[in-house]
Amino acid sequence: MSPEQRGLATIQRWMQEVVVHQGTIDEAIASAEAEREIPSALLNDVILPSHSLTPSERIGIYHGMYLMRMGEALAADYPVIRHVLGDDAFEELIRDYVARYPSHSYTLNRLGDNLPRFLADRPDWSRGGFLVDLARLELAMTEVFDEAESPALTSEDLGSLNPDLWEDARLEPIAALRVLAFSHAVVPHLEAYHRERPCLKPIKGPSWVVIYRRDYSVLRLELSRAEHDLLCDLVNGIPLGDALSAGMAGADSPRRQARVFSWFRTWVREGLFQRIVAG
Amino acid sequence: METPVQLKRIMTMTSNRWGFDDLGLGIGLRGTHYAHILSQRPELGFFEILTENYLDTGGRPLHILDQVADCYPIVMHGVSMSIGSTDPIDFDYLAKVKALADRTRARWVSDHICWTGVLGRNTHDLLPLPYTEETLAHSVARIRIVQESLERPLVLENPSTYLEFAASDMPEWEFVARLAEEADCGLLFDVNNVYVSAFNHGFDPVAYIDAIPADRVCQYHLAGHTHKGTHIIDTHSDHVVDPVWELYGHTIRTVGLRATLLEWDADIPPFDVVHREVLKADAWRIQEVANVA
Repeated sequence: MSPEQRGLATIQRWMQEVVVHQGTIDEAIASAEAEREIPSALLNDVILPSHSLTPSERIGIYHGMYLMRMGEALAADYPVIRHVLGDDAFEELIRDYVARYPSHSYTLNRLGDNLPRFLADRPDWSRGGFLVDLARLELAMTEVFDEAESPALTSEDLGSLNPDLWEDARLEPIAALRVLAFSHAVVPHLEAYHRERPCLKPIKGPSWVVIYRRDYSVLRLELSRAEHDLLCDLVNGIPLGDALSAGMAGADSPRRQARVFSWFRTWVREGLFQRIVAG
Repeated sequence: METPVQLKRIMTMTSNRWGFDDLGLGIGLRGTHYAHILSQRPELGFFEILTENYLDTGGRPLHILDQVADCYPIVMHGVSMSIGSTDPIDFDYLAKVKALADRTRARWVSDHICWTGVLGRNTHDLLPLPYTEETLAHSVARIRIVQESLERPLVLENPSTYLEFAASDMPEWEFVARLAEEADCGLLFDVNNVYVSAFNHGFDPVAYIDAIPADRVCQYHLAGHTHKGTHIIDTHSDHVVDPVWELYGHTIRTVGLRATLLEWDADIPPFDVVHREVLKADAWRIQEVANVA
């Protein structure tokens, strides 16, 4: 590497340290990370003043836009969390989050992938796990939005399988599907946001949801625990016979059996599976 | 619409060296306009897509894009190639860009003369480069590698910038012109960016335009901006201001007619507002061609 290239590399490392720093622009320029690359006393030797702005003000434009851009990207993926927290607290969350999980990707679309983990690691932010649950729900929705398109299993596909093979057959889920269990009732918060209603208080208690995509729209079904457990078994490749038997275990009434088959029909109708594979 | 005489004049004006078509007027493909575009099929020469929005999705955006690409020419415009960065080139990213270009039959692939991050990090901003011999050599080498990887010419846009490095030993227009010549790449000439940077740095935008090698220019960008009094930010959030239209006219006179795109990426209004704005460029195209005649 030539001396000139080292010069370019130094300028870029320095400018990045300044731009992504969480403090004010003056704190950023004087930070240890920036000083390590270019001493703050040399600022005027690096950046020229303009007719109206000092060097500090000029690089401050980039510094100010960084968090704004991160905030816009995360607000698009986590609108319910922003709704619950309010703008100021959300901005503070973004500041903390991108300091811990900056973007290493060419796309901002997956910037928020670590937010559930970040919240789980930070009791001061998680609100007893409520925000972790909300973040998991919203993350699942963005993942399902972007997943690869899969063909949907039809009732004709099911009917074409030799009945003798049903017991050992397995269902393959579509890619755009997430089955989730929460320790809070999160869907009411999603609905409150979409209906532009005031925020609700967190409601502790288990809830289950499947998020999926059909005709390029992200949809959801709220589930009971029994539905969740059966759907998880199917999604995880448990043979149909075993999964359905487990789903009906402990309740051998025809009514319960009918309910299990009704769930199954609903899931097939909603396109949650892409194919059935003989065991 | 141009008259036959005017069309003849247009045909005789200098084209770019790759023979990329003057696709007329275009708009950026944005999610808020999907329904309108597919239902109304507005009269437009092309759509420009933000490359990164379509690289890792198998969902609705790609589904819509496939339909739009069946009806309109597509050009791709990226923000993460980071051509001036001192980080290694991301070949996985380039492979995805190439695959998308093949899928959409993109007329050309563009990005920016800038860097976006180092040390594996991406600030997702179009950060300015010092305009030095070493930056030039470094960028030229990378552009050549990228073009080989993409198997097509790379088209690069002059950025809006808010600071100048003391280390720069040539004006931006000289850097841009030499970069294009030495790397043998195309230019996406953003007229609004020239206006923004000229105000921010106090240079003459006409001198910039006059220095650009016409045969390298494949496309123009127009956009609105936000004037902060002390400086201008390239926000793509408003109508094109009159001085930028004037510069667009001058650019046509000196460079020629090229595919012209209106960028409107923040506070995006209904499609018809954006469409009407880009159609204003038609009057300039006709007028400047007539003036040349």
